[in-house]
Amino acid sequence: MTAAEAARVLTRRGLLISVAALLGLAGVYVLALGYTPVEARQGLAQKIFYLHVPAAWSALMAFSLVGITSGLYLWLQDPRLDRFAAASAEVGVAFSAVMLTTGPIWAKPIWGTWWTWDARLTLTLFLFFLFIGYLALRASVHDPAERARFSAVVGLLGMLLVPFIHLSVYLFRTLHPQPIVLKPSAPSLPPEMLRTLLISMLVFTALYVGLVTLRYGLGLAEDARDEATDVAG
Amino acid sequence: MLPADPPQNAGYMVVAYIVAPVILVGYLAGLMRRVRRVVRK
Repeated sequence: MTAAEAARVLTRRGLLISVAALLGLAGVYVLALGYTPVEARQGLAQKIFYLHVPAAWSALMAFSLVGITSGLYLWLQDPRLDRFAAASAEVGVAFSAVMLTTGPIWAKPIWGTWWTWDARLTLTLFLFFLFIGYLALRASVHDPAERARFSAVVGLLGMLLVPFIHLSVYLFRTLHPQPIVLKPSAPSLPPEMLRTLLISMLVFTALYVGLVTLRYGLGLAEDARDEATDVAG
Repeated sequence: MLPADPPQNAGYMVVAYIVAPVILVGYLAGLMRRVRRVVRK
């Protein structure tokens, strides 16, 4: 199979998974609105939780995988690893945009402010800007090997922020609540809320897989086009 | 003690439930546009 054919298969597969996941998101809305109880202190605004937490999960997973594949690229020099890192970084930025918009919309009615410069929010914003910089770096370096090496170093360093973001609620005084699912003891949520959250995390993970597959296929198609242009030139 | 009635703040939920899919579907549409442009070339 040629690179152009593989790219076509991957983009089609990525589109199918993404559309299926978006339909799953509609199912999450039905569960969140019709199945989960209304939280007594926070009211309906608490239901933003079923979008905000899975978006944060997907973004942090995306950036962690950028770091891992970037480290592997520096070791193995396999262009597929670089292509995956580029795809995961871009999709991670999209999920970060969801996290950074739904967060303040939830914060306003509950905390009384759209934003506070506490450790978790500030580090998350820095991570978002860092990966915007990563994408800008990729767009500005034209030599593929150089671009892959420079961006792998940035991707690897960016991943180092992820554990600090997760642990920031333990390390610093913050308005952000402590983890309620990813913690050493059992999750502290009513079963309806926990089930809906887990389903939403599954849907967001599927959407991550679909978008990364599609973006990887696009990267492959661009590389095949560039190679064909070089041969023709 | 818990309040008798939950606070009335559904508007924030509605906005968040609109914004999130707009970002994700917008990104997906942008990706498809880029795919079509590359394939055309």
